[in-house]
Amino acid sequence: MPTVNYVSFDGQSTQLELAEGMTIMQGAVMNGVEGIEGECSGSCACATCHCYVDDAWLAKLPEMSENEDEMLDDTASERKPNSRLSCQIKATAELDGIVIHMPEEQE
Amino acid sequence: MFRFNPYSPEIDADPFPAYATLRAEYPCFWSEDAEMWVLSRHKDIVMALNDWETFSSAKGNLVNELPGRAGSTLGTTDPPRHDRLRALIQKAVTKRALAHLMAPAQSVAQKHLEALKGRDQFDFVAEFSSKYTVDLIVYLFDLPPADLEIVRDKAVMMVQTDPVTRQKGPEHLAAYEWMREYAANLVQERKKNPGEDLLSQFILSEIDGDKLKDEEILLTVTTLIMAGIESLSGFMTMLIKNITDHPEVREALVANPDLIPDAIEESLRFNTSAQRFRRCVMKETTLHGQTMKPGDFVILAYGSGNRDEEVFPNADVYDLSRKPKGHLGFGGGVHACLGTAIARLACKVAVEELLKAFPNLSKVDQELRWMPSTNFRSPLELQVKA
Repeated sequence: MPTVNYVSFDGQSTQLELAEGMTIMQGAVMNGVEGIEGECSGSCACATCHCYVDDAWLAKLPEMSENEDEMLDDTASERKPNSRLSCQIKATAELDGIVIHMPEEQE
Repeated sequence: MFRFNPYSPEIDADPFPAYATLRAEYPCFWSEDAEMWVLSRHKDIVMALNDWETFSSAKGNLVNELPGRAGSTLGTTDPPRHDRLRALIQKAVTKRALAHLMAPAQSVAQKHLEALKGRDQFDFVAEFSSKYTVDLIVYLFDLPPADLEIVRDKAVMMVQTDPVTRQKGPEHLAAYEWMREYAANLVQERKKNPGEDLLSQFILSEIDGDKLKDEEILLTVTTLIMAGIESLSGFMTMLIKNITDHPEVREALVANPDLIPDAIEESLRFNTSAQRFRRCVMKETTLHGQTMKPGDFVILAYGSGNRDEEVFPNADVYDLSRKPKGHLGFGGGVHACLGTAIARLACKVAVEELLKAFPNLSKVDQELRWMPSTNFRSPLELQVKA
């Protein structure tokens, strides 16, 4: 099972093994990792699962859809070049070990 | 021999004991009564929601699908077309985009509560939630104000299923046909005189020059009306049932209305109105020792996943302080409810205004009559005391 490293805004790290196909957002909300909300239940419609993907992993991610790109303009914390919505990233073997940084706020 | 019969009035009234058995003993269960598989554990439901290539919505998402509907609504279209269609209206229904709904919602709620002033007892469904949700949808969709009661009655009827014949009965199909006709007229009229409302935005949308098919517009509009009226009112009724079933929760909300969103989230988890939706298996899949074949239908029991102890400890307890995340009250994945922000805002305003007007609201002891439906669960009537 791929491992995901969630790093909170204040630097605390939580490592989780996610079943293949689970999204990074679901991994956080189902395991009580704070910092990701997922208000729209994963339909790319709210930008409350905003995260910053560690640069080392950025190139391995699936390309962002136009919709995700537009939603990222609505984030509560600043949008950066490595901003993504974590409901749009599924845990896969290729992303094993991915590091996800949480923003300061989601709403 | 354990059975799970989503047509039975007992399941309409209280599905939770059966869900507990399903989760514990038959996590991938073939229901002879439904002639479908049933997935009941949170993890398995999430897995199915994420894997739309294996668990397709294109053959319909209602347990008893309405004729001609599958493939022509957002909820019954798979990606990538689904994602393009959905993107057309998504921007208009985000939390930020809906800020304009706050003031109209407040005034509509106040109007209907004013009419109840001085009453000792009233039916929350007929005398508040129905009227309030219809008025909100009229505002959002700019519906012609005539015939609104009938629109609501048809919306409520079309989601039901006859528990005896286990099919949509003539009255349910007639309601659906009526709603299609209503939507067809609305679409025609709106094409001629487009406005700023949600329906106009959807009807006039084009994706990369690819216009929506008339049937898609028609059935999507039908579904949006159904969801905006029936599902929203149904959930709001469950929310008030929870608040009145737990007087300590009501007191906490009266003392601190900032807690109302927490009550909404916990209600979405505890007993959401959207109990079950279905998918169709596209490739052979083995789960918990059972093999599901291509063409088999699968019920995803959201209401059961929401009581899964693996994710929600003490899941059968309504806990205002739980702040549940990852619940399935709006489904999940690409097809998660389009109207989450509308529903949350509408419910928040309704509870705020209701508890301001009736801070001692309580439930009248009664045997609740539940809607006969294989998908949705809400009482047909909820008598409350002022």
